[in-house]
Amino acid sequence: MQHFSISYYDGKLSVSHDATLTLMSDHWLIHYVDELEELQSVKWKLENITTDQNFTTLLIFRYGDFPQQTIECKDEVLLPALNEKYPAKVFLEKKLTHIFRKNNAILVSMVLFLLALLAVAYLYIMPFVAEKIASNIPESVEKRLGDSIYDGMIAGYTVDDSLTRAVNDFAKSINFKTAYPITVTVVKENEVNAFALPGGHIVVFDQILLKMKSKEELAALLGHEVAHVHYRHSLKSMFRTLAGYLFISLLLNDINGIAAVLADNSNMLVNLTYSRELEADADKKAMTVIQSNGISLKGFVDLFQLLKNNADAAGQYEILSSHPLTDERITYAKAMAREQTGIRDQSELQRKWVSIGIK
Amino acid sequence: MEQSQNQSRQVSFHGEGAKLFGVYIVNILITFFTLGLYYPWAKAAILKYIYEETEFEQSRFTFHGTGKEMFIGFIKAFGIILVIYCVLFLSILSKKAAIMAFGFLFFYAALLLLIPVAIHGSLRYRMSRSSWRGIHFGYRGNLKEFVRIFVIGSLLTIFTLGIYSFWLIIEIRKYIFKHLRFGDLTFSYEGEGGAFFVLNLKGYFLSLITLGIYSFWYVKDLFNYYIDNIRMHQDDQKLIFRSNATAGGYFKLIVGNLLIILFTLGLGTPWAIVRALHFVFSNIVIEGALDVNAIRQTEENYQDATGEDLADMIDIGLV
Repeated sequence: MQHFSISYYDGKLSVSHDATLTLMSDHWLIHYVDELEELQSVKWKLENITTDQNFTTLLIFRYGDFPQQTIECKDEVLLPALNEKYPAKVFLEKKLTHIFRKNNAILVSMVLFLLALLAVAYLYIMPFVAEKIASNIPESVEKRLGDSIYDGMIAGYTVDDSLTRAVNDFAKSINFKTAYPITVTVVKENEVNAFALPGGHIVVFDQILLKMKSKEELAALLGHEVAHVHYRHSLKSMFRTLAGYLFISLLLNDINGIAAVLADNSNMLVNLTYSRELEADADKKAMTVIQSNGISLKGFVDLFQLLKNNADAAGQYEILSSHPLTDERITYAKAMAREQTGIRDQSELQRKWVSIGIK
Repeated sequence: MEQSQNQSRQVSFHGEGAKLFGVYIVNILITFFTLGLYYPWAKAAILKYIYEETEFEQSRFTFHGTGKEMFIGFIKAFGIILVIYCVLFLSILSKKAAIMAFGFLFFYAALLLLIPVAIHGSLRYRMSRSSWRGIHFGYRGNLKEFVRIFVIGSLLTIFTLGIYSFWLIIEIRKYIFKHLRFGDLTFSYEGEGGAFFVLNLKGYFLSLITLGIYSFWYVKDLFNYYIDNIRMHQDDQKLIFRSNATAGGYFKLIVGNLLIILFTLGLGTPWAIVRALHFVFSNIVIEGALDVNAIRQTEENYQDATGEDLADMIDIGLV
């Protein structure tokens, strides 16, 4: 008969008894000497014994109702002995989670799998979901969002009222094929730049306007920005960036950071940068619209040339950083302009261009 | 029985980052593939591991909670939170000022009530499911009493623009420790609101002046004030808890953990947890005469885990 040395706790007092365990056919016998030097014997019926599912090599068994008696055994041969003695009773359940504990190869492959999962989620799933959300936001919400961003931002600029009026008048004679109410604001800023906000606001810096030489250039610029508005590019990139931050904060267990990110992002909107693919997309869509208005696409060539010159000169053209390489854009615009047919008379537009008053 | 007044004991933590990582990675994967439903089991596994590696007088602690118990709690807690948010959203959708005002009032009132309920429930559950040498911990606080203390204290905090919060925290600690049991051992907390307020005031302003450098001393002071005021009583014997934590130790812990988590994209969290637990336990000393063989079982069985998960959802750690 096998004996195992164990520690026994009676569930009433915190004293640890050195005891021996004897395995009988339908019960366990536990013997120990108590504080009064008397030999005590405890009988555990097999059906009421439970095993702690634990993570160390210490075997722990409990017995009965609350407060339970407990035995702890450091002897690792107990487990095989139990399986041999009581083949019908399962003491330690094989759990799915136990497979991974001792095998490092499985652990490492799980880590790699998890990293791959994170990468896929970050690079593909998340942008996709973000874009889906962006395209499903109702127009009214988008407009309200755009309006509030506009209100917050425009306070930091000086609006040129007469240029604003003239450019809006100019924009009205082009059919941009969008349901969004397009309103242009020209601001005085020593930078060659323009950007679009969700819902229809377009902000044009007067320096880019003053450097233009033809109505086609302005039409091209407006066409490009309207395409950003119409295809919700700013909303999409906003959601992408937001989702990116969110993902990383969640990964780093930093739930409070999310609130901070939301606050930070109001800043980011000012320097909105689109991905190159969105820029190329806007160029393409804008050319289609401008072409269907019968306006020459040469304006795009000139506009990109203007951007290129100014980027070289000042090096501060912020949007450029994410724009498709300007040379590529110029080549593309030239090719499109060469194949263009159906240019119509634009004397109306020319009149409005003149009234903007740029020499 | 030893009677020396110079006894001092420590709880020691033997966990290893690699082992906890084994538990953690399995948890993440299963939680991910079950869309979060595995969370209670994941939490139970982590707690079981941590308790098992925590040792006092050559005996390890045990966490008896199960994923199933916590899952039931999780569902209940989720239901409660859902109802509260539903009322809020419906009131906002109604677009009527009066209904919206009611919705917000209801929302904040419900949260105010929910926090003490969660703390109470969490303590009840966690304590009753914790044991050492077969002797269970317990929390015997009265829910109504605790809610009253919390709500009145919170209102006072609002009216005093936050100043009363320091007294409230101390009052809550006093209440909790007074009703904490470990078998027939009882506890008490001897902190005072005034001293705690001064400590925070000093810590806050010195941190501001030193551009955050003092904050390590500040957190050390907070930790020490918490630990140093805990008392444990066995019959007529009083035991004192003492903290050895230093600002340098805190600096190493916080900066180290930050770097670990950052450079492993969060996968190193188990190592960070292990470091934190090592730090906490290695810095707490229990002084005084204690007969570790004479702690008697006094608690009853308790299995409702709603509070445990509620506390998780509104993101409050145990005080």
